[in-house]
Amino acid sequence: MRASLFITCYNDTLFPETGQAVVRLLERLGVEVEFRPAQTCCGQMHANTGFRGEAFSLAKQFVRLYADAEAVVIPSSSCVAMIREQYPNLLAELGTDSLRREFETLLPRVHELSEFLVDVLQVEDVGAYFPHRVAYHASCHGLRALELGNRPLRLLNHVRGLELAPLDNLDRCCGFGGTFSVKNAEVSSAMLTAKLQDVLATRAEFCTALDNSCLIHLGGALHREYAPIRTIHMAQILASTQDAPAEMV
Amino acid sequence: MSSSVNARAAIFDRIRAATSAVPAEIPTTHAGLPRNYRRNGQMSANARVALLIERLREYDAEVTECAPDEIVQAIARVIEASGRRVLVAPPGLPAGWLVPACNWKTDNHLTHDEIECAQGVVTGATCAIAESGTIVLHHTPAEGRRVLSLLPDWHLCVLRAAQVVESLPEYFDGCGTPPALVTFISGPSATADIEMTRIKGVHGPRFLSVLIVRDLGTTRPGAASGAKGAQ
Amino acid sequence: MNHPILDPRVAPPFPVAALPVLRNPQLRKNVAHATDVIQAKRARLVAEKTDWQALRDSGAAIRDHVLDNLAHYLEQFEERCTAAGGVVHWARDAAEARSIVLNILREEQASEVIKIKTMTSAEIQLNPFLVENGIAPHETDLAEIILQLGQDEPSHIVVPALHVNRSQVRDIFAKTMGLPDLSDDPQALTAAARTYLRKMFLTVPTAISGANFLIAETGSVVVIESEGNGRMCLTLPRTMITLAGIEKVLPRYQDLEVMLQVLARSATGERMNPYTSVWTGVTPGDGPQRFHVVLLDNGRSGILRSSRERQTLRCIRCAACMNACPVYRQTGGHAYGSVYPGPIGAILTPQLMELEYAQSLPYASSLCGACYEVCPVKINIPEILIDLRAAVTDREREEERRFFDPMYVGLRMANKIFASASRFRAAQRLARLALRPFTGKDGWIRSLPGYASRWTMSRDLRGVPRQTFREWWAERDGKAVR
Repeated sequence: MRASLFITCYNDTLFPETGQAVVRLLERLGVEVEFRPAQTCCGQMHANTGFRGEAFSLAKQFVRLYADAEAVVIPSSSCVAMIREQYPNLLAELGTDSLRREFETLLPRVHELSEFLVDVLQVEDVGAYFPHRVAYHASCHGLRALELGNRPLRLLNHVRGLELAPLDNLDRCCGFGGTFSVKNAEVSSAMLTAKLQDVLATRAEFCTALDNSCLIHLGGALHREYAPIRTIHMAQILASTQDAPAEMV
Repeated sequence: MSSSVNARAAIFDRIRAATSAVPAEIPTTHAGLPRNYRRNGQMSANARVALLIERLREYDAEVTECAPDEIVQAIARVIEASGRRVLVAPPGLPAGWLVPACNWKTDNHLTHDEIECAQGVVTGATCAIAESGTIVLHHTPAEGRRVLSLLPDWHLCVLRAAQVVESLPEYFDGCGTPPALVTFISGPSATADIEMTRIKGVHGPRFLSVLIVRDLGTTRPGAASGAKGAQ
Repeated sequence: MNHPILDPRVAPPFPVAALPVLRNPQLRKNVAHATDVIQAKRARLVAEKTDWQALRDSGAAIRDHVLDNLAHYLEQFEERCTAAGGVVHWARDAAEARSIVLNILREEQASEVIKIKTMTSAEIQLNPFLVENGIAPHETDLAEIILQLGQDEPSHIVVPALHVNRSQVRDIFAKTMGLPDLSDDPQALTAAARTYLRKMFLTVPTAISGANFLIAETGSVVVIESEGNGRMCLTLPRTMITLAGIEKVLPRYQDLEVMLQVLARSATGERMNPYTSVWTGVTPGDGPQRFHVVLLDNGRSGILRSSRERQTLRCIRCAACMNACPVYRQTGGHAYGSVYPGPIGAILTPQLMELEYAQSLPYASSLCGACYEVCPVKINIPEILIDLRAAVTDREREEERRFFDPMYVGLRMANKIFASASRFRAAQRLARLALRPFTGKDGWIRSLPGYASRWTMSRDLRGVPRQTFREWWAERDGKAVR
């Protein structure tokens, strides 16, 4: 099995350790990982702020780049949601018939990381070791758009040494919302404070999610507050073993 | 009122420009809409009635039961226990139900003030829905016009067990031609407008009492005649 | 406390309107409490309703069918209602609707009118108009009385006074009803309202209502309520005027079997609300003998035009979206500057205004999708929010003042950067360099200038790592970074 990693623009720039963890994890599971350097961004930021034409050009780029990939794996449920939910509308509105056909054949081959592990590789125990107390936050896109269900928890449950701390209101939005976090910075911060209360109450050492977009927002506030909790993308937990524990950045 | 005619025409023009209905197909399309929700009850008649009673009591409605041959005595008992004497009655209420101990005002163009002076009202009902504890009035002569079951502070509703259905779709299914006036009652009036604290008894009767006549084995309203679901 | 402005034409944009609310802990507590209570009740009842998703599917299908065939069903409603003794009027906009209502009231020589709560009348700003014309409107819904007597505005479409707590209600009633010894126990407050209204119900001969639904098959009107003030207003007076948006119509009486099952569960977390009333035109000897229906367009026919946005009109005004919304939970309804707040307001208000106003509302969302999840008629609110953002952006981007707007500049630039991997790599290196002066020894940024300060006002930011992922990959692969 050959998987093409779409790292996402923000992971590439700000969270390279997440991408490295995905590579380590997939290779450990016997997957050959390739990385197409022409990749940049899925266009979500543009689409969600109302810049459709710009978003379309990035959608076209994505479809063309991965047309022949066996599988595309993306460690970001919001980017996968963009591709699944908004690309059809963008391509219908602005694309050609042939582009739409290319997209339709590509779409079933695009997977969020936990979907790839559980549905495609059909593994729940990835051989991970992470002896810490961890709270799991269900990112909105993963929860509602991708309907990941309990896939993330099933994966975490098999991580040796990991103690899962239940998070109250785990399905309530953290308040990031992309450009919402700056356009409506005060409201975003108020939502963040509410989320922080629940996260701190878990007394966990780590707060994890499948999206670094949520974690950059939560982690930024935890750091600001000198809180004893760090954020970490689930890929890094799943990649962590006794011999090669997760990098603490 | 040419302005109204213009407004009507303008609105319809805008609507028609935005839609493209073929009138002849509309009933068919409506009939073909997906309806995969539950449309038939699965409970036995006894279980239905038990569920209704449970739901009524959740709303703090008083519930009593009686056999078909004891209706009048049961009504008398409930009224006496309520401490009320001056009652309004719909014109079609069975005469035998106007128990002697009370001061009855049968509605024959009673004024609102006269009804306001009454302490309670006794009516029949058309149907009751067990799942939600709902009583349905079609305001027949035995149920009375709407003001009768609105102004008095106490409403005694006499319901036959055979009139109870499990779910709302069954009521509509058995309804036949839609009536001109309907009131669905699911407990006494309530509000949760102040801090979400549920307060009962704002307007409308603050006290609801339901007498269920155990006549299982007779037909349901609107259904074909013949005993149905006697259990 | 500033009087909230619920006119989208003059209300401040959402981010600005939200600020005073965020600084009001009492209001935020009230809103969080109320929405938490209804959400919990709703969740329990939905879990118990095994055919809930099938009901949602049918609810959406019935509403879409109505919208597809709106002209037919409105005609049928008008015909049947008229045959039953009702008078049907048509209003293209708010001004026309107000004028029709005023004409009827003048014909009735009404100096006052009792009202059942209806957001539609708030939408057309009826009350101030009646007062200007010498007619006193008396709200009879407990929440509406609280707001009317407290000179406040609704902040939720089902529980309009949810932002007011018991001691605030006590103060309002004590002052306006002349009850200085009134306690703040909700029971006592409710009893005070009951007494205050009883006489009005029995003496005021004219009433105004809204409609939860109009039934085309029969020409009937459906009013769904809890308190009984609705039943009072639609039974006791001589004349009834019902104001209803044209989208309220349902094809058949039987279609209520879906709507009634989903509405109460969604709106108040009950299996059924206490009272639902259905009446058809005029019934001799029972209820108002003069009955008018005013059908209101006011922008709805415009929303019909778009195949994707049309689903906005499926709305049955249950407010489940508001109760589920994490943004609304923090800001309450007034911040939206409209009688329709929350997620539905964020899509309905701008569309009713043909995007001339309320342009900040589609951005008042983190796109979390909780609203879509709970909507009983499956309105895909996030999808419409994004479409409206595109529509607003298309209008704005041509404006000169947007040329230097950091958001517009930033996104245009980002697009050019993302168009090529080499440009992207260069931008990454540039970002790393540019942010280095702001990055502390621990690799974190605490403060940024200009627009970026909107991030750092409440959050730190991880500094850009020394090596991007693609640089690491290129090294690992033994390839030079191109």
